[in-house]
Amino acid sequence: MQEIEFSEFVGLISLLVILLPLFSFLLILAGRKGSGANLALINISISFILSVYLFFFIWNKQPIHYQIPWFLIGDIEFKAGVLLNNLSVLMITLVSGISVLVHIYSRTYMKDDLNIHRYWAYLGLFCFSMLGLVVSDNLLLIYLFWELVGFSSFLLIGFWYTRPIASQAAKKAFIMNRIGDIGFLIGIIIIFSQFRTLDITALFGDMGLVKASLVDKGLWISASRQMPEVWFSIAGLAFFIGAMAKSAQFPLHTWLPDAMEGPTSVSSLIHAATMVAAGVFLIARVYPVFDPFVLNTMVCIGAFTAFMAATIAISQNDIKRILAYSTISQLGLMVMAMGIGAYSESIFHLATHAFFKCLLFLAAGSVIHQLHHYRDEHSLDFNCQDIRLMGGLKKGMPITFIGMCLASAALIGLPLSSGYLSKDAILITAFEWAGSRDGIYTMIPYIMVITSWLTVFYISRLVFKVFFSTPKLMSMEQANQIQDAPKQMSYVLLILAFFCLFFAFAFNPFSFDSSWLWNGFSSNLFQKVNFYHWLIPLILNIGTAVLIFTAYRIYVKNDGMSISEKNIFHRFFRQEWYLHELYNYLFTVPVEKFSNVCYWFDRNIIDALVLKSVTLISILSAISHWCDRILVDGFVNALGTCAKWIGHFSRNFQTGKLQHYLISMLLVVLSFFILTYFI
Amino acid sequence: MIPLSHFLIISACLFCIGLYAVLIKKNAIQILIGIEFMINAAVLNFVAFGKFDKLNGGGQLFALFAIVLAAAGVAVALAIILNVYKHFKTIDPSKINKLKN
Repeated sequence: MQEIEFSEFVGLISLLVILLPLFSFLLILAGRKGSGANLALINISISFILSVYLFFFIWNKQPIHYQIPWFLIGDIEFKAGVLLNNLSVLMITLVSGISVLVHIYSRTYMKDDLNIHRYWAYLGLFCFSMLGLVVSDNLLLIYLFWELVGFSSFLLIGFWYTRPIASQAAKKAFIMNRIGDIGFLIGIIIIFSQFRTLDITALFGDMGLVKASLVDKGLWISASRQMPEVWFSIAGLAFFIGAMAKSAQFPLHTWLPDAMEGPTSVSSLIHAATMVAAGVFLIARVYPVFDPFVLNTMVCIGAFTAFMAATIAISQNDIKRILAYSTISQLGLMVMAMGIGAYSESIFHLATHAFFKCLLFLAAGSVIHQLHHYRDEHSLDFNCQDIRLMGGLKKGMPITFIGMCLASAALIGLPLSSGYLSKDAILITAFEWAGSRDGIYTMIPYIMVITSWLTVFYISRLVFKVFFSTPKLMSMEQANQIQDAPKQMSYVLLILAFFCLFFAFAFNPFSFDSSWLWNGFSSNLFQKVNFYHWLIPLILNIGTAVLIFTAYRIYVKNDGMSISEKNIFHRFFRQEWYLHELYNYLFTVPVEKFSNVCYWFDRNIIDALVLKSVTLISILSAISHWCDRILVDGFVNALGTCAKWIGHFSRNFQTGKLQHYLISMLLVVLSFFILTYFI
Repeated sequence: MIPLSHFLIISACLFCIGLYAVLIKKNAIQILIGIEFMINAAVLNFVAFGKFDKLNGGGQLFALFAIVLAAAGVAVALAIILNVYKHFKTIDPSKINKLKN
């Protein structure tokens, strides 16, 4: 009895966590233009406090599953509810925490925007849907929130919708995400037709239906029904496609770099820390549905995405685009980790990545913000996001510099940082996994090592170019005038910087085994190979040190590297592997051609038919017009003329002359006489 | 003895002459003369058929009535013609057409 009340209580609290941002969305939209900052901040803060409270209630304790009946289809009852286990409480704390920080940051960053109330409202909608997504206990509910997340992301990318690039980017993100949504929906449909339920605990729990179902002689058999084995793989692939679109995995990743057209704070919250992690979260939620084939696909796609994005990030010059590709690369790492079965490592990296990538974006946002002010004050004209033009900002912006350095250290995985724990955990597990495989799969960990070295290079390139190198547009003294961003923004950077260090996640800075977060999820299926645990970090860090030094030599001492524009690799990476062009060629151009054909068909066939029938009808109407005019009217006119003629004729008798009347009388009498006697 | 048919032919001729005068003449007095012709044709018929009623002499009697009435009628008609002449300064019936409009 007491337990039921307790779970009801917790359920209500989590409902409050979800609904508070929704209230701010509704109230701000109903409210005055240009306001809403305080309301949004208060609501999300309460949400955050409540979710921390929930976190301490649930973490490593009995999961709580509270649900109420939702609706009936036939005799199948759908229930809606919240499922709070380690994964979801971690996610709500993460999401609401980072949201609070981004809210505080945006108060200054977005201060002068005219439509700021829309910004707060959309942010509320996003927080509502993201929090709802992570606590829902039912695939259908998750799908609803999944769509809402995509929609609010669309709204926020297109926040400056008057800029055509931004609205194009928003549309692109939305369409790409729709492709993933279709995958997700197909997955839900297959699961539903096999198991007749969408409840996550019932399906994917420890003793759940998916684990209880078995594949035998080409059939996938559950308790009540069976279908061909291939559907099991298709269901897994379908869910994976959903995750691919949200988490920007190759080949559905092209929306994320374009999404950087939104405000930087939005990029930081949605397109770096939380929403893009939703794909990884979904994989974690439905993990049992993936069979070995799908898991191997996941490994390949994740590893390829990570590598590809890292190579692109090296050659980009836009600060936000570099970070966007870095995000894609890190998400590829997480997806690959999911594929090899490193479930807890992947979630661990998701959490650490959320903090350091958020910090990277917010620091980049500060740089952009301050450069913008500098530009407006001195009425100059240059691109505030181009790292080639930046330089020497270290002295003037110490807080941003420290934040950027710590976040980069975490991204690189330098010792004592949070990234060291999570990233090396993934790499070590990858090596352990590859030990039990053969063929191409043994290559995967080496690709990841190369990727992580590429990561080192591009992020040190960014840091050195922005903070160390000699400024291109102004003198060193002028560069020093550019100060740190206002206090509110800088404090947020410091708070996030704290979470990039190891002690937020573990006591021992050199072993992820001791991390509380990693221990919260148990998945280690592999034989632990001890010498990997010191050898891999060692090799990685030696390589890292060499690369940082090289980057220092190139970008600080020598002021950049001169690569000819003709270099084929440079061009290939610079153009983002020509994927935009490829998609354009593969999809956009055929669609345009097809629509041109349709247009032609419409114009020349359908319209021609219509015109022909118009002609036919006009001929018919001419005929009937003639009939009407000549036959019908003619008959009526003839009658009229006849009557007129008779009238004229008989009028002639009424001359008013006496003798005429007499003649008429005589004639009448005579005719009677003749008629009577002679005929 | 003169046969009946001669009387009837004479009377028919008289009637036709009278009718012709009535229909054609432009003078009211000549029309009145035509009417007298037609009356006398009828009177002649009465007298001619009177030989079949010798007992009562009805034919002759009716002839006398008719002559008297015709005389009265002519007197009235002449009076009207005189008045018409006073009023219209003409006795051509085709020109007296005030009722027409």
